[in-house]
Amino acid sequence: MEWNAETLQFLSQCFLHTLSPQPEPRRAAESSLAEAADRPNYGLAVLRLVAEPSVDEQIRQAAAVNFKNHLKTRWVPSNDPNASVTFPPILDPEKDQIKTLIVSLMLSSTPRIQSQLSEALAVIGKHDFPKSWPTLLPELISNLQKAAQSSDYASINGILGTANSIFKKFRYQYKTNDLLLDLKYCLDNFAAPLLEIFLKTASLIDSTAAAPGGGPPATLRPLFESQRLCCRIFFSLNFQELPEFFEDHMREWMGEFRKYLTTNYPSLESSSDGLALVDELRAAVCENISLYMEKNEEEFQGYLNEFASAVWSLLTNVSQSSSRDKLAVTAIKFLTTVSTSVHHTLFANEGVLPQICQSIVIPNVRLRDEDEELFEMNYIEFIRRDMEGSDLDTRRRIACELLKGIATNYKKQVIDIVSVQIQSLLSSFTTNPSANWKDKDCAIYLVVSLATKKAGGTSVSTDLVDVQSFFLSVIVPELQSQDVNAFPMLKAGALKFFTMFRGLIQKPVAFQLFPDLVRFLGAESNVVHSYAASCIEKLLLVKDEGGKARYTSADITPFVPVLMNNLFNALKFPESEENQYIMKCILRVLAVADISSEIAGPCIVGLTSILNEVCKNPKNPIFNHYLFESVAILVRRACERDASLISAFEASLFPSLQTILATDVTEFLPYAFQLLAQLVELNKPPISPSYMQIFVLLLSPESWRRSSNVPALVRLLQAFLQKAPHEVNQEGRLNQVLGIFNMLVSSASTDEQGFYVLNTVIENLEYGVLSPYMSNIWNVLFMRLQNNRTVKFQKSLVIFMSLFLVKHGAQNLADTMNAVQANIFLEILKQFWIPNLKLITGVIELKLTAVASTRLICESPVLLDAAAAMVWGKMLDSIVTLISRPEQDRIEEEPEMPDIAENVGYTASFVKLYNAGKKEDDPLTDVKDPKHFLVASLAKLSAVNPGRYPQIINENLEPVNQTALLHLCTTYNCQIV
Amino acid sequence: MADDSPASHRRDPIKSSVGNVAAQRRRQNAVTVGKERRESLVRAKRLCRVGATGDGDVPVEESDMITDEEGFLLDAQTSSAVEELKSAVACQGKGAMQKRVNALRELRRLLSKSEFPPVEAALKAGAIPLLVQCLSFGSSDEQLLEAAWCLTNIAAGKPEETKALLPALPLLIAHLGEKSSLPVAEQCAWALGNVAGEGEELRNVLLSQGALPPLARMMLPNKGSTVRTAAWALSNLIKGPDPKAATELIKVDGVLDAILRHLRKAYEELATEVAWVVVYLSALSNFATGILVKSDVLQLLVERLAASNSLQLLIPVLRSLGNLVAGDSHTTSTVLVPGHEITDGVVKVLVKCLKSDHRVLKKEAAWVLSNIAAGSIEHKQCIYSSEAVPLLLRLLSTAPFDIRKEVAYVLGNLCVAPTAGEGKPNLIEEHLVSLVQRGCLSGFIDLVRSADIEAARLGLQFTELVLRGMPNGEGPKLVEQEDGIDAMERYQFHENEDLRNMANGLVDKYFGEDYGIDE
Repeated sequence: MEWNAETLQFLSQCFLHTLSPQPEPRRAAESSLAEAADRPNYGLAVLRLVAEPSVDEQIRQAAAVNFKNHLKTRWVPSNDPNASVTFPPILDPEKDQIKTLIVSLMLSSTPRIQSQLSEALAVIGKHDFPKSWPTLLPELISNLQKAAQSSDYASINGILGTANSIFKKFRYQYKTNDLLLDLKYCLDNFAAPLLEIFLKTASLIDSTAAAPGGGPPATLRPLFESQRLCCRIFFSLNFQELPEFFEDHMREWMGEFRKYLTTNYPSLESSSDGLALVDELRAAVCENISLYMEKNEEEFQGYLNEFASAVWSLLTNVSQSSSRDKLAVTAIKFLTTVSTSVHHTLFANEGVLPQICQSIVIPNVRLRDEDEELFEMNYIEFIRRDMEGSDLDTRRRIACELLKGIATNYKKQVIDIVSVQIQSLLSSFTTNPSANWKDKDCAIYLVVSLATKKAGGTSVSTDLVDVQSFFLSVIVPELQSQDVNAFPMLKAGALKFFTMFRGLIQKPVAFQLFPDLVRFLGAESNVVHSYAASCIEKLLLVKDEGGKARYTSADITPFVPVLMNNLFNALKFPESEENQYIMKCILRVLAVADISSEIAGPCIVGLTSILNEVCKNPKNPIFNHYLFESVAILVRRACERDASLISAFEASLFPSLQTILATDVTEFLPYAFQLLAQLVELNKPPISPSYMQIFVLLLSPESWRRSSNVPALVRLLQAFLQKAPHEVNQEGRLNQVLGIFNMLVSSASTDEQGFYVLNTVIENLEYGVLSPYMSNIWNVLFMRLQNNRTVKFQKSLVIFMSLFLVKHGAQNLADTMNAVQANIFLEILKQFWIPNLKLITGVIELKLTAVASTRLICESPVLLDAAAAMVWGKMLDSIVTLISRPEQDRIEEEPEMPDIAENVGYTASFVKLYNAGKKEDDPLTDVKDPKHFLVASLAKLSAVNPGRYPQIINENLEPVNQTALLHLCTTYNCQIV
Repeated sequence: MADDSPASHRRDPIKSSVGNVAAQRRRQNAVTVGKERRESLVRAKRLCRVGATGDGDVPVEESDMITDEEGFLLDAQTSSAVEELKSAVACQGKGAMQKRVNALRELRRLLSKSEFPPVEAALKAGAIPLLVQCLSFGSSDEQLLEAAWCLTNIAAGKPEETKALLPALPLLIAHLGEKSSLPVAEQCAWALGNVAGEGEELRNVLLSQGALPPLARMMLPNKGSTVRTAAWALSNLIKGPDPKAATELIKVDGVLDAILRHLRKAYEELATEVAWVVVYLSALSNFATGILVKSDVLQLLVERLAASNSLQLLIPVLRSLGNLVAGDSHTTSTVLVPGHEITDGVVKVLVKCLKSDHRVLKKEAAWVLSNIAAGSIEHKQCIYSSEAVPLLLRLLSTAPFDIRKEVAYVLGNLCVAPTAGEGKPNLIEEHLVSLVQRGCLSGFIDLVRSADIEAARLGLQFTELVLRGMPNGEGPKLVEQEDGIDAMERYQFHENEDLRNMANGLVDKYFGEDYGIDE
């Protein structure tokens, strides 16, 4: 794409139309842009447009966004072979030009465009900086120095912002020499200019703030933003280790840091956004000193006392205020780091702990308006923070972390003080429950948060209170309160406590509360009915010693009708239509309770109606997953009890499943195929015609095109092959099935699926039906063996040959293979079967291949021939390795990298339904023990030809294996003569 | 294929295969952005205030602090001294030589007077070209000595000031030769040592101008301050990061022999400088490391460690030992064979260092042990049954962070068997069980909480061992009791993908709910 007036016109028009509220011109513009984007120099042209002053600002802004996105996909295009689209990469000459232009363009543009270009620059930097972009850093530095001379803070902050984003790569990475070399380059060049601008800005702040009234906010704002950016860069550059330059200039940095923590800037702090700005700088400072405290405690030691006291007094103020979260969190983190370091003695002084508890911990743990708002307005986020551990950055949680930190060295003191606090909070609640309910909440929160965590979100123990008596005196009254809607946060806290300590609450006590839990499903508060559902769900998972479930179907069956009723009703509350906690509870109840037809009926109606609803617009994948699992488990367990229910389920489910297939609800297709497979398997032949329609659909290559469907389709195909083998052999369907096998097996990422199909065919069809196709099948497999011989494929091949052998005999196996090419059977044995046999894993697979191999050496004329004695011996050697050594001694990890990458592509979008899973079938039920089978077969064989085999064994088996074989003979009392 | 595989190969920090890391051998990073710790003990640049040969005629002032006024005065005196030298150099004929020497001596006195010599004033006044002229061939020893002395102290200044010596380098190198008198050669070596101490760029200039061979030869004699100065200058010169100079040095005839001799017999100050040479040889050059480990050097280092209490000496000796252990598998496979006397000796001196009050010694000793612990099963057993373990366990719970991290590597390595492949390491159950029983798990869980990602990874790896390897499925319960679940759950959304996957994987595998429970 050349840069000329025409291009300018074309691009401006397009970008203008992309902003149009009318869909037609907008879509047309988007598609012409998408098309133009494939042409060389498109990115450059768009960048030029962004720089064109004559063009309207909003067009340039749209262009800047487009430019950034263009770079994201094409600077280094993804090499994921499963990506839906692959983009042609931007060519080097164009890249060079973009890199030449972008810094100065970014600096001279308006703030909105600047932020887009800065992001674009960061995209380039991520791949190219510093090695492939040596001019960037010098350019930034010289611009920084220029801008600093004229105190042009718009530019300074633009440059610092850019530097901040390109240096972020030094955070959270493992130390490698490459990373350190890049870091060293950045430090050598940038450490000094950074300090220079930081100090310059610091003195500007000092002189401005010294003016009467604290200086004009408009002047101070960019200065504080600048200092914050410097602090973030400081963090990146210091993350890996303490660089020499920073160690040498620690005093300068720390001096300013301390100033920002201890000084007030009234002219800024009088407005809330001004205060936020100063606090952001303070928070960045706290992160830096936490980093130093954690990693460089020796060098930082000299500053520790002054910072500890600065942070302390800062926190005493901040803790009283209801906003200022970020600052409170980072500041408390610093104190936590100190508390766990070798300098923890700072906390040992008389009176320090009670004061921390009083003025820092309790105020931060107490509910604030924001928490109440979140509780009401966004229950999902509230639960994620409150229950699911994404509260790492909340004040409540971090205040408890501080207590835990101090407790690492002063456990007893912490327990004493907190216990006293809890008692006083509770007694304050008792004096006036409705006014002081937050005190009780605070007490419950402290107990839950300070307990030691156990698997699945329970608590193991707490030394703060006696759990049993706390539960009875504090929690139970809340749970038994008749009004499910009163003080909902307190109810939520009580339910959470019950859930967390569920393992410690004795069964009779918990059981008595079960009706109350069911009752709370009817609470209006989304959090409360979610917690009630969650609590029931988790209770049903509690196991006693020995792994037995504590609550059984007998326990809950009496409640099930009302429980189910309340659960389905809870899904009708506003915003709980797709409440995953409730759906998960439904799933769990269906897994535990006795599914009588009285329960199955309403449940399937309820579930299908929800299913029909979510089909219209699948939103919450977790909810949907539990929904499908619920359907699957309902069908499975109900039919296990009463097989006649299947037709009722079919009648309910078919319309929904057909809708999914017909309207191509992509997200749900794998689920639908799995449910269909389950239904097919539960059917008794003959299969009804409606299924055969689906079978036809299944065989069309169209269905297999989406890789996320493949595992589920294979599963469905297997079900059909098992249940309707005769139908498969009609109307050329077998040919179609083998076509699918052919397609799957040719690619390394789906070959396993291909073998599933093939194995099912081999297992379920008569040899007479198969024989005309065998040449073709062998051709396909040998071709693949020639083109791409992965270990996984070879192992699958050995398993397939074994299955064929045990189903259709050794002679048929050898003959069909040799029909493709003379004597290939023996070659395949030597080259693939023998070496891969010992790599087979899995109980069923091991037995299958061991038995098949044993039959080979005992039945196959080719191997019994004297000329093949060595092959015979090696095969036996392999069999003995396979059956006598533990798996980890036989198997080496396979370095099949490309496969892994490819597999990730589809497993990510394929979700397996646990409850619609296939049971593993053992094709060899008549053989119990492959070891016994081996030695018994050998004994029989050798009896016919005494003296022949011991010699072959002696010559061809590894000594270890000879010993192992001998041992097996003794164990099973068989003799090889 | 001798050396010169770039340092990046040798210094490969821990490989990132999940689970196996604790078993990897580790070495100091060649690329370092941190301050070189040597400098706090032995400065890379040294001022020469009393003549190398002890003939200093300047009364050294006791107080290093000089007032502004004095500083101003000193600057003025320096300027005029340079002027004086200028006219002396211009002067021809009778008495000119003496005049030059006098002027040089005056300048040298001024440059040696305080800890903060008036280098800037001397440079501003144009001292360098004059001093270069004074170094010309055929000048008297006295003149050469004074001029080199002046240059030495100028080079001890700030980076730019050191760089000002560039025009003087060829002549300073030339005067290192055997034809020069010892005092002149030593003074020149000193000046060059300061230049080399400045940085990589100047080191490369010196190497390309051929400074290394004559300096190396100066190290060969048995004693004398010259040997010590040369060793110090060499240690600066071969600092790299390019390993070429180190390789070149060990190839010089007699150098290996001299190193061994000095380590065996020399007084502590000389042995210290020589040990620093060994530090850089072994840190940088595979070739040199290969040669050193086949010599007696390990034995000598161990003897020094056992005999001395001088921190100045112990640090480079210990670090050399560590580099040799980490740097060449020959060391652990053939020299430090379990059961050999030297192996017990090494463990014994390392225990001594672990007991020391000095943190650097503790840390380096733990680092060396971690590398030995990464060896064979027998190595692990040897450390496991030594006096080191109780010390390490105590350090893991009480020491500052960086020592704890090194200690954790030792303990972690003791619990995993060497593996050939990349898979999960096999456990040494006996060690794991006993170390866990003695309370090391909480130390590792603390590391999981660390902001340092290497430490966090190590913590997670050890946690994995405990979860997988404690008998009777006791692992999960122990981890739970130490609040390990909470520690791992912090990684739910961590920025480091590898750590996130490790932690989430462990929580899922060992603490996940059995989601699809069946009856």
